[in-house]
Amino acid sequence: MRVDFGSSAMVRVLIVGLLLIGAIGFSQEEKPTEDTEKELSAVESFQVINDIKVIAQKAALPALIGENKFVLRESWWGGSIAPGKAKLHKVQLFKRNSYQFWMAVPNLRAELNLNLYDSEGKLVPTDVKFIDGENIATTIVSPEMTGIYFVRVSLKNSIDLNQDYAVIYAYR
Amino acid sequence: MKQIFIIAALSLGGFGVSFAEDAPTQLNLNDPNLIFVEESVIPIPLEIFASLDKLGAQDWGPQVLDRAVKLDPNRSRTAMLFGLVVSEGFIAVQAEDKDAVRRIGREVLKLAAPLNVSGSVEGHANSIIDAAGNGDWDMVRTELDKTRQTVINEMKENRDNELVALVSIGGWLGGTEALASVLKTNYSVEGSDLLNQPDLVKQLREDFNELPDRARKGELFNQVSNTLNHLESLMQVDAAGAISEGSVVEISLATSNLVKAIYES
Repeated sequence: MRVDFGSSAMVRVLIVGLLLIGAIGFSQEEKPTEDTEKELSAVESFQVINDIKVIAQKAALPALIGENKFVLRESWWGGSIAPGKAKLHKVQLFKRNSYQFWMAVPNLRAELNLNLYDSEGKLVPTDVKFIDGENIATTIVSPEMTGIYFVRVSLKNSIDLNQDYAVIYAYR
Repeated sequence: MKQIFIIAALSLGGFGVSFAEDAPTQLNLNDPNLIFVEESVIPIPLEIFASLDKLGAQDWGPQVLDRAVKLDPNRSRTAMLFGLVVSEGFIAVQAEDKDAVRRIGREVLKLAAPLNVSGSVEGHANSIIDAAGNGDWDMVRTELDKTRQTVINEMKENRDNELVALVSIGGWLGGTEALASVLKTNYSVEGSDLLNQPDLVKQLREDFNELPDRARKGELFNQVSNTLNHLESLMQVDAAGAISEGSVVEISLATSNLVKAIYES
């Protein structure tokens, strides 16, 4: 009997995905934004951001299956961001590859920007799309040059509270 | 008319808010008000190989080298070796070499003990070995990346931050050695741009230089420092966006010598 490993891998991905969806349902409902304003221990802070990473991973799942799928990196960025502020994360990208980035924050009313800049600070034109509202943003880029780029994440002034955030990315 | 003016003014006001919150088309990267997050993500070899393979299928088999892993009490060297071995795993995945991946899974376990990360690595290493046996390359690739990330997380939890930079250097070095070797054999201007990584090398070099002296004592670590300096100058593209064939040969030689020194010291 020929075993189709591709399919078995797909089944595993879907099972993990379903488990994640369960976890996310909990994290989105049970974690009001105010939680991020409390004094948290280092372990609690890590757990909060880790839960937000799971929100981003759930949003990424559809892009990680199929023939032209992206491959998710295990490395990711996390932190906290204030309304009206932006942060830059450095990343080395390679020409001919495409990259998809996802940024998530827990508050469903939060509005995000997720953009890419080249090593000279020039905005790389991309379309930013939002998943399930405005608190998960995603964008795809196919860099014209190999080199250092900056992922710029920002939080609009639509809410008053700082947001913990996670950024994940995948390549193909 | 008055209504039109009011609507226009409101619209402009709306645009004003929108522009202020939208992404600027140009950033001044020297602006002291910009917030750069220091922690950078190091690309894994497969990310780079994926790009090169789009120029035509490459023969990755010869890049899988069966090098003996010798342990010694120097944890800094062991951390670099760990990064190197994981990168060898990525190369073996690209070459779809089952035996090599299984061997590498065992070596990962062997190296994890002196780095105090056995507990978190064991599951991943066993998954790598099992998945390689089944030819499930997607799973091997995922588990290798997880191994790398888990070890880095565990080292941070263990307050072994200095080892994190060394794992990253080892991992990057192994992938770069393989890439330069393939490009040296089959040089193309287009492919050479993948070595355009001077900023990344600079970051690795700075991370290395920030390590306490005790973590980089000895001849091997002088060689690491010298090689990173040398690579930073070699990995500069020319006006056409290429790295010359001569520089590719030099990059190949420099990385290969350093990898050999890490394995054999």
